[in-house]
Amino acid sequence: MSSSIIYYIREFCRPEWLKKFFFAKTPLLEAPAHFRDYPQLTGNECTHELRCMMICPSPGAIEVLKMDDGTWAPVIYKGHCIRCGLCVEACPDNVLRSGDLLERNKYEKTYFLASYFLHVDDAKCMKCGNCAVACPINKEIDPRLGSSAASSNDDVIMRVKDGRLTFLHPEKCTGCKTCEKTCPNGAITVARVVEGVQDED
Amino acid sequence: MKKTVDVSLPIGPVHPVFKEPARIKCETMGEKVLSAEVELGYVKKGIERIMRDRPWQEVMFLAERICGICSVIHNMVFIEAVEKACDIALAPRAAYLRVIVNELDRMQSHILANYSYCYTIEHETLAMYLLNIRETVMDQLELLTGARVTCAYIIPGGVRFDIKPADAEKLKLALLKIESDIRRFMGMFENGRMIALRSKEVGILTPEEARIAHAVGPTARASGVRLDERLNHATYKLLNFEPVLRDECDNYARIMVRFQEVLQSIALIRKCLNEMPAGLIRSGGEVGAGSYSWKGEAPRGELTYDLKTDEYGRILDIAIMTPSIMNIEACGHYMLKGIDSAADITSTFISSDPCIACNER
Amino acid sequence: MSIIQKLKNKVRSRSIHVSYVNVGSCNGCDIEILACLSPRYDLEQYGIYVHNNPREADILLITGALCEQWDDKLVSLWEKIPEPKAAITIGNCPVSGCVFNRRGSYVNPPVSKHIPVAASIPGCPPRPSEIVSTILSLAPEVFKDFEEKKR
Repeated sequence: MSSSIIYYIREFCRPEWLKKFFFAKTPLLEAPAHFRDYPQLTGNECTHELRCMMICPSPGAIEVLKMDDGTWAPVIYKGHCIRCGLCVEACPDNVLRSGDLLERNKYEKTYFLASYFLHVDDAKCMKCGNCAVACPINKEIDPRLGSSAASSNDDVIMRVKDGRLTFLHPEKCTGCKTCEKTCPNGAITVARVVEGVQDED
Repeated sequence: MKKTVDVSLPIGPVHPVFKEPARIKCETMGEKVLSAEVELGYVKKGIERIMRDRPWQEVMFLAERICGICSVIHNMVFIEAVEKACDIALAPRAAYLRVIVNELDRMQSHILANYSYCYTIEHETLAMYLLNIRETVMDQLELLTGARVTCAYIIPGGVRFDIKPADAEKLKLALLKIESDIRRFMGMFENGRMIALRSKEVGILTPEEARIAHAVGPTARASGVRLDERLNHATYKLLNFEPVLRDECDNYARIMVRFQEVLQSIALIRKCLNEMPAGLIRSGGEVGAGSYSWKGEAPRGELTYDLKTDEYGRILDIAIMTPSIMNIEACGHYMLKGIDSAADITSTFISSDPCIACNER
Repeated sequence: MSIIQKLKNKVRSRSIHVSYVNVGSCNGCDIEILACLSPRYDLEQYGIYVHNNPREADILLITGALCEQWDDKLVSLWEKIPEPKAAITIGNCPVSGCVFNRRGSYVNPPVSKHIPVAASIPGCPPRPSEIVSTILSLAPEVFKDFEEKKR
């Protein structure tokens, strides 16, 4: 009994112990490699398919922008991104990476299939043409699409003609939700049917 | 009897033991609680309303964020309801993977609930032990799904990732450590005299009262009511699942049920890892029109998703019933009534594991 | 700079009292704050002590997207904290409303509309190590030379 007390008193008087007790701090832990962090660019070329914007569940988290050198690149907004990793899985060109998601997907041969359906509620639509002007695909096809959204080009996805929003090529839609976001009345909707699939070996 | 001063004692909405805002209003005579009322409504976000007109890949994340503690089960029940509404087949391997992740989530939720209880009765040593072992469980969740809290793991027709053989070995090793530790902490809880003074015979919820208040989950099972939605789940049936029941009906029993369920979850995960068939983890299948009402067992009790989808798989109508609302009612009406000490109000409230975020959505 | 001020700086950087308030989050961020308390991260070794009493706190951690109920309550809570004080928002919700910021929901982000926010930690939810490192890097800066700045 007494010997153990003496042992502890001697133990506590050691300078190393005292130093450790008062000043030791564990360094901050680092995130493991398999943690899905914010998506990072891999360096692959973005082909502007806008799958990431289509599948992103958080409003305003990802945007595909034209950089200064004329290439497209996705931009992630911190404070909006919820780190779900769906954009990484959906991207056909592997532009983004996050944790070991890309390797896992490649190994397991999993990916997402998606199809899109455009609808407009004529009762709510006020023919402002915001959707047709904001649409990034429309912008590429007809860069001169003005504020009235009355395009003379017949290749655009949608345009306002004869006082009505008409869809010309709905199959070109990439489901990026830009039109939904800009519509003031919630008249235009893009139904995105996404299916998670896996190839057999 | 000489009338002592009656005090109406409000606790909350910001209180050291509450993780979330809630207010308990107690009518007390001296220290004895005569009646109690739980006041909610501080974190109403209107999630069901914004779920409408959205496809599954967005609603899944909203469902997950109904409750951050039991996020996996919300994800699982929602996706299973969608699958059953639209007749989507489930890959057999994915069914087992779902059970593994769900049971890991249940383990961390139960350990967190027991941590809160131990912290509330000021047994900080045991509380910190439990919080530390919970980190090990969270590591396993992260290993499997890539995220600690909001995993986003379950999708229609399967799951997002497979479990690598190396990861399965790591998981088995970690389960051994968790099991031995939980057994030790359970012994500490079972045999601790001070804990017994604060927990035994406090906050009684008799089986009749549990049935009247429709208590669910561990709260009901601690009163001997055999109520567990896992009994109706196909994969759990294959695993020969049997619920844990206790008949003490007090705070002690509720915490012990959670400890035993953690051990049970460990056994279930081991069984899954052994019996899991090889094969695909996703079977595809487009979400279409349909409606279904499906129940699952969340860590706190039964969770119902009642939904209707349109032809493009968008949610037309959704109704969610979360377990905590029944447990909170049972707590306010029956458990808190007749408590001899005001110090036990918070611990009894915490022992029913209320989740306010689930309740109000 | 007076010696007392130096002493105060030293003491304040090693003793930070934290209070957290949930103004409509999903619990995810709250349990990550709890995880910071666990022996693995051990918040208290850095001199950060979590106790949920605003009247004793230096730093207010805010989680959640600010529901209607909290419009006035958060301000009154903020006024109860003694000076010097700082508010840190945790998670996406107080910054942008996260997935809840949709047409028809009852949330009212950002939190910085109501009280001054010193820093925010994005992530849904952020990892415990991110929370710890932000509190550690921010607190000494905010409280440094508080009396001198006030003058």
